[in-house]
Amino acid sequence: MNFLQSLTDGISVAAILVIVAMGFAITFGVMKVINLAHGEFIMIGAYTAYVFVSLLKMPFVVALIGAFLVSALVGMLVEYTVIKRLYGRTLDTLLATLGISIILQQLARLIFGVSTKSVSTPMTGSLKLGTVVIPNYRLFIILLSVILVGITLFILFRTNFGMKLRSVSMNRSICEVLGINTAKIDTLTFAYGSGLAGVAGAVLAPIRGISSTMGIEYLTDAFMVVVMGGVGSIAGTALGSALIGEFKQVVAFFSTEVSASILLFILVILVLRFKPEGLFKVERR
Amino acid sequence: MRKFLLSSEKLIGVPLVLFLFCVPLFFNAFQVNLMGKFIIFALLAISLDLVWGYAGLLSIGHAVFFGLGGYIIALSYTFQNGTPSFMKRFGIEEIPVFMQPLTNIPTAFILGLIIPAVVAALVGFFILKSRVTGVYFSLITLIMAALFQMIVINLQAYTGGFNGLMGLPRLPLFGKPFSLTTFYYIVLFVTIAVYFFAKALTRSHFGKVLMSIRENEERTGFLGYDVSNYKIVIFTISGLIAGLAGMLYVSMNGFVGPSDVGIALSMSVILWVAIGGRGTLMGAVVGAIGINYLSNSLSESFPEIWYLLVGIVMVLVVMFLPDGVYGSFKKWLESRNASA
Repeated sequence: MNFLQSLTDGISVAAILVIVAMGFAITFGVMKVINLAHGEFIMIGAYTAYVFVSLLKMPFVVALIGAFLVSALVGMLVEYTVIKRLYGRTLDTLLATLGISIILQQLARLIFGVSTKSVSTPMTGSLKLGTVVIPNYRLFIILLSVILVGITLFILFRTNFGMKLRSVSMNRSICEVLGINTAKIDTLTFAYGSGLAGVAGAVLAPIRGISSTMGIEYLTDAFMVVVMGGVGSIAGTALGSALIGEFKQVVAFFSTEVSASILLFILVILVLRFKPEGLFKVERR
Repeated sequence: MRKFLLSSEKLIGVPLVLFLFCVPLFFNAFQVNLMGKFIIFALLAISLDLVWGYAGLLSIGHAVFFGLGGYIIALSYTFQNGTPSFMKRFGIEEIPVFMQPLTNIPTAFILGLIIPAVVAALVGFFILKSRVTGVYFSLITLIMAALFQMIVINLQAYTGGFNGLMGLPRLPLFGKPFSLTTFYYIVLFVTIAVYFFAKALTRSHFGKVLMSIRENEERTGFLGYDVSNYKIVIFTISGLIAGLAGMLYVSMNGFVGPSDVGIALSMSVILWVAIGGRGTLMGAVVGAIGINYLSNSLSESFPEIWYLLVGIVMVLVVMFLPDGVYGSFKKWLESRNASA
């Protein structure tokens, strides 16, 4: 392992993080809902990939799309049955999503059992640049996350839905006065955020074990990204992901993974204390 | 004829305490030990209710303070027989300098109260002084729980790692460990004492300011109260109580491991308080003892279904019974008494 290798590994870690954190940040930014079950939507995506690829022997691309759809559907269901009824009660939504995360974990355990599942890597081979080795699958992840960021930006800034979504995040009551169906926007936003988490889960499936509790570490990482990058900015989310992904890899290279996590935690607390609007927020006024 | 108007607290609390007092007389050692642990969980639930129910701060990392207290006293017990074997395996022949104070059990006991309180105060100082809202506090405490569990597992040389610390005695403060029955009653008395302390605290001026912060933080601030200081103080007190609960727990349990300190336990405490009813103290106690009692009898036969049920009940309680089971009962009784 050399230092450059750690740096490039950091990029692919960051790429997965972007996909996870974007969904988390959008639901938080628009709906002011902290979704503690976000990690479980990753898990749903990963299990979907397992069903499609390992059980049904379908190509990996189908699994990616399937993971998005399944997670988005479950997300829609959750939003429609529970979260919609708790608006304005932020701490209660936190609690409700906590309950939902327990339910989803137990359902996964009931359906798939306790043993860790795996998905074979859809592509082998790797790219060698001097001493640095990048597996092709990692390249694919990086490419995919760039595409997903592009799609999200397109939806946010070039579609009618995106315009409504941005206006709801700025002023909900004015939007309602203007006749925008905010309930529908919320449901779709939550579904899209969950769907992104699902894609992240499918992407993760070939490179790690799939278990009912795999989501929690990504939830905490996604939150740290949101703290670093500020709420409601895709660029901030991307930069925050890059920072955290690289930070973890680089510190782990010089010391251990544990000290990387401890340092990161301290960093996040300091940012919250002294720059609560995030590191990359440009003052607009 | 004059009607007796019983408060819900007495109606539930008195029979509960009477029952808990009789447990060592009628049940076997295993059940006494189990009930003792449930009482300690009630103590932990009280500590969470103080910050969550009264100050509106949902901590998802309360097991950290519990675990800090627990590990401090557990390490101290282990050090009584010289350098523990898990340290020797990593080539540490002598107890490291920063752990030297733990070789004395009474010192360790005091540290087990102080260190969780200091950690709570530090986290509180950085998060609660900031402009960010309550959800950030919740998530930071969540990350703290994940991190603490990771530290405990990975610093195997100092914590025993995954295997945890085993064969711990029942609080040998004065040389000899207590018998099970004596220790059970100590736990019961400590919990009752802390309950009344917490009750007095919430009825004091301090407690009233906390509740007004919960209801309307901005307005309380405008009235001239330094809101964040109040929150930091209650979080520190809560951390101290949780540390105490952790120390009692490992002494009762005889074992402490990473699963006793992480996210899972933190979420369980939230569950007990939410289902019992926050902001009433008695609700936390009823929730902790009731759910653990049920979970113990039901989870053996259907573990998966049980946890699924717990999750569903939690969502239903949040949606339809925000005061929790005890809290709703209390309200119902109060309205009945008012009309009688």
